[in-house]
Amino acid sequence: MTSAARVSPPAGNTGNVIRDSALGIVPETLDHYLALNAAIWDAGPLSAAEIELARLRNARHTGCVLCQAVRYDVAVADGLSEDKVQLIRADDPAAGLSERERLMMAFVDQYNLDPAGIPMQLQQDLLAAFRADELLHLSLLVAWFNGSSRCAVALGGMPEEMPRLEISVPR
Amino acid sequence: MSWIAGDLNREQIMARLPAIGEHFQGLRASLYQLAQLPPETVELCRLRLAQLHRSDADFALEEYPLASGKREQLQNWHSATPFSAGERACLELTEVHAMDCGAVTDAQADAVKQHFGEAGLVALLQALGVFDGIIRLGLIWQAAPAGGRQHD
Repeated sequence: MTSAARVSPPAGNTGNVIRDSALGIVPETLDHYLALNAAIWDAGPLSAAEIELARLRNARHTGCVLCQAVRYDVAVADGLSEDKVQLIRADDPAAGLSERERLMMAFVDQYNLDPAGIPMQLQQDLLAAFRADELLHLSLLVAWFNGSSRCAVALGGMPEEMPRLEISVPR
Repeated sequence: MSWIAGDLNREQIMARLPAIGEHFQGLRASLYQLAQLPPETVELCRLRLAQLHRSDADFALEEYPLASGKREQLQNWHSATPFSAGERACLELTEVHAMDCGAVTDAQADAVKQHFGEAGLVALLQALGVFDGIIRLGLIWQAAPAGGRQHD
């Protein structure tokens, strides 16, 4: 992994972590990025704590140190605990999770490792545990965070480790 | 038939949660209107991702028309003649990104910047993230993409 950022962020400081990042130098996509990111948190049926669990599990797959260090304050306020975060860092995160949480982690793993090979049993278990709109929200948030996390990693400048960093949803 | 939503196609499924799905589609559309990266290059990278994911349905789509021969020779872009140096730089980064985003080298990133600047590199990585996500959604939902324009 590189130690130097491959792109310079825009000059100035707006206080918005997306606008002030390297993403801020592509104006054609910036507003779409911000709107989609906010909608993921605001406009779906899953709770903020559930979104955060899926996001963090995904970050483990992409290897994004920054994404793994961040905690969104809305998820913490929704009851996300660091004990729960530690549970989903295991290779097989079944122990200590609810059935619903375990299935969310299984979906994230499947999306990352072999999306075309999703087993019939996992499909059935997901359909039994989640409403259709919840499954759709889960799918879209994983796709969104996976893509943005991959982008962050490939842009370089990622430290080897970072302390926990609580932030608000950028708007 | 998709296990998540019956006989709906991928874009119809996304539209069932419009408050999010519409923003996703808006971001996707914006990737073909970039000042930093030609739409034909963007389309080549999307098609290469489709090949790497073995998504024939995504490869059959035409989001932007390509010059003659490029689609047919895309798998051999290393040696085939129709591809420019800038397109080759983007396709090389696309392939590495698809396998392991952490494996992209400074040299590969520099090659893209040489042709399209820093903003072009950012735009390409954004595009790869979005396209990869949309292709994966179709695969995991077992939902075909919406018809759109099909390549002949």
